[in-house]
Order: sequence, then structure tokens, then C-alpha cells
Amino acid sequence: MEIALAGNPNVGKSVIFGKLTGVGIISANYPGTTVEYAEGTAKLGEMIVNVIDLPGTYSLSGNTDDERVATDLLRSRKPDAVVAVVDASRLERSLVLLFELIESGHKVVAALNMHDIALKNGLAIDFEALEQTLMIPVIPTVAIRGEGIDALLDAAVKLRPRSRFSVRYDSHTEDVISRLAGMLREEDWQLPLRAVAIRILMADKGILERVDGDIKDTAESLAEEFERQHGESVIVHIQRDRFGEAGRIANDAVRQMETAEIRRSRISDITIRPLTGVPILALVLATIFLVLVFGGGLIEGALVGSYEGLAKGFFDDLKAGTDSQMAQGALEGVYISIEAMLAIVIPYILVFYIMLSILEDTGYLVRVVSLLDGVMHRIGLHGRAIISMVVGYGCNVPAILATRTIGSRRERLILAILITLAVPCSAQTAIIIGTVGNYAGPEWALLIFAILISLLVVFGFVLHRIMRFEPTHLFLEIPELRWPSVGQTLGKTGVRIGEFLTIAFPLLLAGSIVLEILMVEGVLDKLVEPSEPFMVGVLGLPAVTVVALVFGVLRKEMALQMLMVLFGTSNLALALTNEQMFVFALVMAIFMPCLAALAVITREFGLKNMAVITASSIFLALVFGAVANLILAI
Amino acid sequence: MASEITEQYLKIIYNLTEEEGAAKTTEIAQRLGVAPASVTQMIHKLSKQGYVRHEPYHGTRLSPKGKRVAKRIARRHRLLERFLSDIVGVGVEAGHDQACKMEHALSEEAEEVLCKMMNHPQRCPHGRPIPKCERDITCQECAAETLRLSDLDEGETATVSHLVAKNKEELCRVLAMGFIPGTRVVVEKRLPMDGPIIVNLKGTRIAIARSIGGTLCMTRAA
Repeated sequence: MEIALAGNPNVGKSVIFGKLTGVGIISANYPGTTVEYAEGTAKLGEMIVNVIDLPGTYSLSGNTDDERVATDLLRSRKPDAVVAVVDASRLERSLVLLFELIESGHKVVAALNMHDIALKNGLAIDFEALEQTLMIPVIPTVAIRGEGIDALLDAAVKLRPRSRFSVRYDSHTEDVISRLAGMLREEDWQLPLRAVAIRILMADKGILERVDGDIKDTAESLAEEFERQHGESVIVHIQRDRFGEAGRIANDAVRQMETAEIRRSRISDITIRPLTGVPILALVLATIFLVLVFGGGLIEGALVGSYEGLAKGFFDDLKAGTDSQMAQGALEGVYISIEAMLAIVIPYILVFYIMLSILEDTGYLVRVVSLLDGVMHRIGLHGRAIISMVVGYGCNVPAILATRTIGSRRERLILAILITLAVPCSAQTAIIIGTVGNYAGPEWALLIFAILISLLVVFGFVLHRIMRFEPTHLFLEIPELRWPSVGQTLGKTGVRIGEFLTIAFPLLLAGSIVLEILMVEGVLDKLVEPSEPFMVGVLGLPAVTVVALVFGVLRKEMALQMLMVLFGTSNLALALTNEQMFVFALVMAIFMPCLAALAVITREFGLKNMAVITASSIFLALVFGAVANLILAI
Repeated sequence: MASEITEQYLKIIYNLTEEEGAAKTTEIAQRLGVAPASVTQMIHKLSKQGYVRHEPYHGTRLSPKGKRVAKRIARRHRLLERFLSDIVGVGVEAGHDQACKMEHALSEEAEEVLCKMMNHPQRCPHGRPIPKCERDITCQECAAETLRLSDLDEGETATVSHLVAKNKEELCRVLAMGFIPGTRVVVEKRLPMDGPIIVNLKGTRIAIARSIGGTLCMTRAA
């Protein structure tokens, strides 16, 4: 038994999914897209029901990535029933998708969600009238409180004939549909031919791919003839009739009880108005940053401290038990990568994901995106990019993961490049502050930050020009602000962390082992001599700093300690001049991302892009270092 | 103001003289389903009022004054036929009969909005040309005058008249969001730096990039 959940965005579909399935949720990116969908199982008595949570869409015509994924899943998985999640307080909008589900021959059950809000707004909904008109079961639910979920599952698993409801289009449209449907063969399609014909007219790519050339030509000429006669596309007529029908049904079924004052939360308005929205945003971003840096730092300290206390002795014993330097290096690698996971994943990524879920679930993220879209478009980015950027100042790893909330792959890649190059993470900031800030003065540290920010803007602008694609234009619904649900937030976070662990940890482990073995074998020290002409001649740095640079790839925050070890003193002023510190800090800030970041870049964008990002960051860091050295030498 | 019966006569004469020079009394009688004698009487009256000129053995022609009235009525009739067939979805013949009754009641303002709403149709469902309105601009200029959603100011209310999407994908996206011709939209906020426009569409708030807002042609609410 398999059921699918379909619905518009922001109708509480995911909450229903969460309540239905509980644990054991798998969430996946649909191959080749940035669209996520989730799967889980629900239990009804003895029966195990597989539940697919389709991406939220407004239509099934396959014209956006989300719609394509939803229709593909419906076609390939052939669920036994489809639950159409409908927003009770805005019935008309939600009904249109439900019509399409019925039209496509699915066995549909409607979940009339957010029923409480409809009641609060003074709307009385006549379920029986809806059931009679649509000829499907209609179950009122309040998903956040779990009301109606059992009844919904119960109704969904009962087998029943398909609804015979159908939207009547105007006579000319009906004529075009039936002429097209008449050319199709039943055995070629798993959909009713009427639905296929309609989708051909709506230019559904998934359907058009599988249609014969002559039918396509006929559809084309019928549509042209239609447009010539009516001065309007047949698509407009189809959608107008759907919305018209939805409006009629909603009108009949919904009664405004009294003139209830519909309270629109005032917070909702001030978050969008630039005058108040920008300060609120700044406050929210500052909070995220502070929680990440200080909260994350605290957790990191505690975790790493206890890990060292517990595991260091164990690993030391293991190391003492073997004579092979290789084995010792490998053990150190394992030890360090577990430590890195504890130091990055739990404190920064987990904390960030919880905050991101809250931002998403409250509906605040959408407002931020709208507010900043104009500005961000100037550097080829979507308004959402701001979240990743701010997060990146804490840790680049969750920042790169957060790019996932952005629609197109191109924008995600631009953003990931900008973050790895020009957004210093807290460890890089620590290096900048710990060297230049400490010894040369805060104004020099600020200069480095200013260089990085201009690098960000210039690079964004350049990349926007080079990677020529149409940027995605914002077009989304702004839901009312609401309280997030603890279950949903934790569920979402759990899924994301799990994904990160399975993909990134093996890479981190392998990288650490290799690097540690190189260290133990003294390969890194061998780098010092050959790199001397470059380090001294071009960057003006002592040759040994190359070890700190390479080691920084493993753990950025340890590069500073490494530097102190290399010089044998914690007073860096004895070993480096202020100019040298400036160059070192600048190079470190741009230099290739740490292993954990590389692992997520590989996971999100593939090896090739990772290699390009790495190479360009090394190159850029050295160029900036060389130029800084030249200027400072004058 | 011409009476309904006058308008009816003038329209028939207009329809007949569109193809040939003058309308024969018998033809008018046939179209109206009345006796030729009553037509003769009515023509005489119209002639006295200066709407038509009657030349014995040739037929009746519209005077410039009559032509203006007739054109206006024919325009309303054909626009209404378009409306009834395209938007209401009734058959062409039923549409014609109802348009005959509605044409006399349509106000000038409603006529203008109807024309804009249907994207300046050039022909009626029977293929006859729809006479241009009396405003002193071409249909292209009038269409250019049409507002786009992205031109509206904060707080303005307007109705979607038609869509000019670049491709079917965009058209489908905009329609699926609920921007159906005839839908009322309130502009709540225009975000700075060419940011998106926030509109209220029947209680749902939507942030829409200005470029997409440009695909929506609007008529300001009266």
C-alpha cells in the first residue's frame, strides 16, 4: 500500500507527513534537481503504508522543477491513493490542484487542513457538500495538533472507485481536448486520455516527449487556431475554467459565519516593510551568527574537551602498540577526523540546521528572500543567498549546505564559490584576529575584512556575467507567520544531519588519514625547502609557514597553533613582522577551504567543481598574498 | 440619445452596407423579421432625424451621424459576442441573440474595459471586423497604454486583463499561481532596489519579481 501527499506550498503538507510517518523518514534530492521529497512509513493496525511527500506545487503541468518531480513520482510510483492537502482557509486556490489530481485519474482523498484557522476566520465549511460535489472523502484536519490524521489515513487506505467529478471547460476548449484525446491510444498512457490531451495543450514537457510528431503538430495547429479566434491561449481558458469552478465550489461550501475580524498579524507586515524589515533582519542574522559562533563554540569546547579526555588515551595506547609510523599516522588521522566531526558537525551544523528549519517553518525565510532579492540580484544571486553568507562567517560547511534552499544550480554554485573564497569562517577570523589584529592593530585586521568583502562583490558581479544564465526570478507565496513545530524541526534536522554524516565523514576520514601519514612520514617538512624561493621570494614569508598553510586544509583553527609550534613560541611577534602577518592572514583567509568544506562541495557539486574551486582559491590566495607583499614592501 | 429601435435599425443598415453600397428595404425587413411597410415608415422617420438618406430604387445609406451611432452599436454587439463566446463559453448563435439584447444596455466605460480585457479583439466570432472605438488613438497605442503589474503603485487595486508571457512555461506558472484574467489584485508593497512586488491576490500574498510582473497586463479598478 502506498499513498502520496500532494498540495500547494504552505498548506501544511509536511506537517501532515510528519504526523503520519513519525520516524524513519528518508529525504532525497530528486535526481538532477534541487527538489527535495521525502518518504516514510505509516502504520495502521497491522498494515504498513508507504507515504511519499511530493514537493509542494500549484499545478501538475510539469512546467517547473517541482511540478516535474511531482508528476514523475506520481507516474512512476503509481500510488494507490493521493491525499490532496487543501488549505481550508483558502479553499479556492487549493481546489485547482485537486481537480488536476482527479482529472489525472488518481484516487483522491482531501485533507481539509488548517481547519482551525478557517474557523477562527469565521468560515464554516460544509464537508458533506464538498464530498458530494467532488465525489471524494473530505477529512478536516489540524495537522499541527494531530487532529484528523488517523481518520485521514483510514480514508486513504480504503479502496474506492475513482471520482467521476470533472471540470467542464468552455465548448471550444472541450472540442480541442476531445479531438486530441481521440488521436491518442489508451494503451500508450497510464493516464486518462483527457488528462494527456490537456497536458499536451499545457506544454507539459514530460508528456510532450512521449507524444508522436503528428499529434504534436495537430495540438500546435489547434492551439494556434484557438488563439487566433479568441486572442488568448487555450492555456488561459483551461486555467480560468478551473479557477472559476474552484471559486463556485468554494462559494457553495463555505459560509462566512459572522463578520469575524480577520486578524492579520502585525509582525507579518513589519518583516516585509524595508524600513522595519531590514533592522529586524539584521537582528535575526546577528542572532544566528552569535548563536553559531558562541553557542557553537561552547558546545565545541565541551565536546572536544570530553572527547580528548576519553579517547586520547585510547588512541595513544593504540599508537604505542605499533612501531609502524604509517599506522601511527593513520590512527592520528582517525582520531583527528572524529574530533573534526565533533568540532564541526554537532556544534555548528546541527545548531545551524535547527535555526534554518525554524526560519523556514515560521515562514520568515520567504520574507527575507523577498526583501533582499533586489539587492542580491545585482550580483547574480537570489535573495536567499544572504542566509548562506551569514552562516558562512560562522562555518563554511553548513553555509554550503544551505545553498540548497536556492532554486537553480548555477546560483548555488556561484554562491558556494563566493563563500569558500571570500567569506572567512570563524576559524579564519580567529587567524586574522590572532595574528594581524593582535600584533599589527585592529585597523589592519579590518583592512583584510574589507578586502574580502570587495572580493565578494567583485567576484559575484564577474561570475554573474561569466556564467550566462537567466537568473531565477522570484515568484512565491508569502505565508502568514506561524509557530514552528518542534517535531517537524527536529525531524528535518535529523534527516539533514544523517545525510551529511554519511556523505562527508568518509571523505573527511580518508583525507585526514592521508594528511597525517604525510605528516608522520615527514613529507610536509620536505615541502619547506622546495617552496622556499616562492614563500620567501614572492610572499615574503618564512619558508616553514608552508606547513601551516597545508595543515590548515585539515583544520583551519589549528593552523594558528601550528604556526606557534613551528616557531617554538606563542609570541608570534618574535618570528613574524607585522607585514608578514598581514600577508599570512590574507592568504589563509582566501586559501583553499578545509577538508570538511571540500567534502560537502564534492557532495553537492561534484568532483570537477570541487577541483576548480580548490585550484582557483589557491591561485587567488597566492596572487593576493604576492600583491600584498609587493605593496607592503614599498 | 437614439432609442433602442433606432439603434437596431441603424445596426442592420450598417451590417448590410458594409458589404454593398445601400440597404434595400426588403433586406432590412427580412433581417428584422417585420413587414416591409413598417420598415418604410421607420426609414422615413430616421431620415427626418438625419440618421439615414433614402434614395428611391437604390436603397438606404447611413448619414455620417447615423454611421457613428451604428458603428458604436456594431462594436458593442461584436465585442459582446466575443465575450459571450470566449469567456462565458456559450455557442456563437446563442451569443449573437443575447448580444442583440445586451448591446443597448452596455455603458461606454464597460465597453472600453471589455475591449481591454479581451486584449483588443479585431474580429467577432463570425469573422466581421470590430469597429474601432471613438478614442483618438490606435489599438497599439491603447494596448501600450495598458498597465503592467510592475507599473502599479503601492496600494493600488487592479484587475488582470490579459497575459503576455514569453513562453508557455511562464504562462502556466503565472496562471497556476492564480493570476487569471478578471482577478483583482492589490499591490501591497514594492520592495526597493528593483526588488519584487508584493501583491495580495484574494487573501494570498505573493512576492513577484518585476520581470514576471511585466507579463501581467492590468486594468486599474474604477
